[in-house]
Amino acid sequence: LRIPLMWKDTEYFKNKGELHRCAVFCLLQLGGEIFDTDMVIVDRTLTDICFDNTIAFNEASPGFELRVELYSCCSEDDYSAGSTPRKLASKLSSSLGRSAGKKLRAAMEPGACSPVSNGGAAPLLLPVPSVPGPKYHLLAHTTLSLSHVQDSFRTHDLTILGNEECSYWLPLYGSMCCRLAAQPHCMTQQMMGGWLKFKQCGGDPQNWTKVYAILKATSLFCYQRQEDVEANVEPALTIGINKETRIRASEKDPLSKGQNICISNRYGGEEVTHTLNTESREDTHHWMEAFWQHFYDMIIESSNDLSSTVSDILARRMQELELRSQLGTSPTWMSVFEENSPKCTGYPVRPCTSRLSGHSPHFPHRLPSRSPVSPHRCPQLGLLSSDASLTSDSDSHCSTSPCCHRHGWPEPSSNFSLLSSSPSRLRPRTLSLDAKLSTLRGRGYGGGGTFQCSCQPPSSSLLTPLPVSSRSPLSQLSTQTTLSCSSSTSSNSSSNSEGSHSPESSEGSPFSRPSPVRRSLRNLRARLDPRNWLQSQV
Amino acid sequence: MSFVPGQPVTAVVQRIEIQKLRQGENLILGFSIGGGIDQDPGQNPFSEDKSDKGIYVTRITPEGPAEVAGLRMGDKIMQVNGWDMTMVTHDQARKKLTNKREDVVRLLITRRSLEEAVKQSKGSHPRQ
Repeated sequence: LRIPLMWKDTEYFKNKGELHRCAVFCLLQLGGEIFDTDMVIVDRTLTDICFDNTIAFNEASPGFELRVELYSCCSEDDYSAGSTPRKLASKLSSSLGRSAGKKLRAAMEPGACSPVSNGGAAPLLLPVPSVPGPKYHLLAHTTLSLSHVQDSFRTHDLTILGNEECSYWLPLYGSMCCRLAAQPHCMTQQMMGGWLKFKQCGGDPQNWTKVYAILKATSLFCYQRQEDVEANVEPALTIGINKETRIRASEKDPLSKGQNICISNRYGGEEVTHTLNTESREDTHHWMEAFWQHFYDMIIESSNDLSSTVSDILARRMQELELRSQLGTSPTWMSVFEENSPKCTGYPVRPCTSRLSGHSPHFPHRLPSRSPVSPHRCPQLGLLSSDASLTSDSDSHCSTSPCCHRHGWPEPSSNFSLLSSSPSRLRPRTLSLDAKLSTLRGRGYGGGGTFQCSCQPPSSSLLTPLPVSSRSPLSQLSTQTTLSCSSSTSSNSSSNSEGSHSPESSEGSPFSRPSPVRRSLRNLRARLDPRNWLQSQV
Repeated sequence: MSFVPGQPVTAVVQRIEIQKLRQGENLILGFSIGGGIDQDPGQNPFSEDKSDKGIYVTRITPEGPAEVAGLRMGDKIMQVNGWDMTMVTHDQARKKLTNKREDVVRLLITRRSLEEAVKQSKGSHPRQ
């Protein structure tokens, strides 16, 4: 955490004026957790107040508010411990009543006989300790939230209280630099586990291998035995689960009891599908729900702009409606959509199960080399997974992607009204999480423009080599909707350094000019990104 | 033209007085600035010292008030109407230049060629 100061040049250079010294520290509070930093003594020889502490909060919800407060206390030389100004002492002794004063003095002076009270005429030095220590005043504060989570250090504005007359005053520049990182639980913890049967090519259902599968971070890890999970044994099979993965639940297989779940990923040019079989319909249900929540969590994690997230989510939910009609029951996560309410814009529907945690073992040490002055540590909400770190980078580059969503994509509310009629239609046998989207696309959004995201994410990546980017078949249609653009953006950001980046960005897709509002939004983002070298016309 | 913390900054400067031009509702000067203490100095193409966070002129509108007054691309702005520009954020600099109540800005700018010129003139007249 770094808080720059702004001393007057006379103070700073010529050592004019008394040495004004303050002791400061920061309090960071999130929900029920509160931490403090070490204390720093500040005087005019310092240009910045630096707190080197790293602070992790483990129980943050997506809507968190992290309050940072800077407390300061003047530490002038004559306030050294053990003495009080004479005036104060005499006032105290005279303002207390005679008997109370006597008792107080007796109490304060260990073992001494009660000193004579002469009515305040002579100053009496009272020991300080009854008033515990110096008093700190709130000098500045600010509140950070999910939107401030970024991949690198950012400058945040401070609200400053007090003025030059206060003893605890420090000439703050008015901002605070720190890095706020967040990592959702879905990246570090197991979200779902259970037994599944893994279909081997050409095998008949009796011979499908039973595996214990764990859904965690960006993969589905399949182990031969449940104990293997704890034992750190290599999983027998790892299936990538990311924003580009397509998961389909097929109709009840007459040959087996449960339903088949097909997970498809695109590795390079090929599509690889794994088929897993569940024991029962309920299991399928649970798994699909877990997958859905996982997608959602990954999207939330990777995009700071919730409005764009919502468009993504809505698209997926449309697909889910189909799923639901086939499954016959209405999953809990669908219930909100039955009301056709667009109130989901902005926040997750379910009481947030995606939680932020601070348990990741690595700290992606990707400090921008151009800011040598910023400290290496700052309060973090847990350590950022590489996924999100890449994504938020590209988020700032592809700043228009959230904007472009709205370009070809109608208002959420109208989306809904469109869709609520759909479940009644007969659906093809194989349910697809993306089939709905393609029909939707063909229907009304032909005019939808798309924005060519020509940005490329920074190449360093800490992801395990999970080939991630894929072209969903949706993009093959001539009019790409913004969803595929956004997924490609996200996939851009989560693609690993092996170079398999989504080709969408370089396709000759129809390019539509962003409206002036979008442009100004883009400009705003460009302005706020300290990596750009800003130029202003005057 | 970087500074040593604690030491005064010295530079050879030129005074430039620009009359703002009214364009509709706006008063324009006809140039663009870059830099600032909140910007990344490494990206400044005009600065000699890549840690210089000063305000530089990055673009001049041809025939605009700034060009007419003698401002050139690459100039470093030291003061605007008496306000220091060597230690300001980008936005602060912009604000000082776009004050609606002022229709003229007096800049103190420095540029490499000025320093060179002074050096040369000093050199050709050795001290006695």
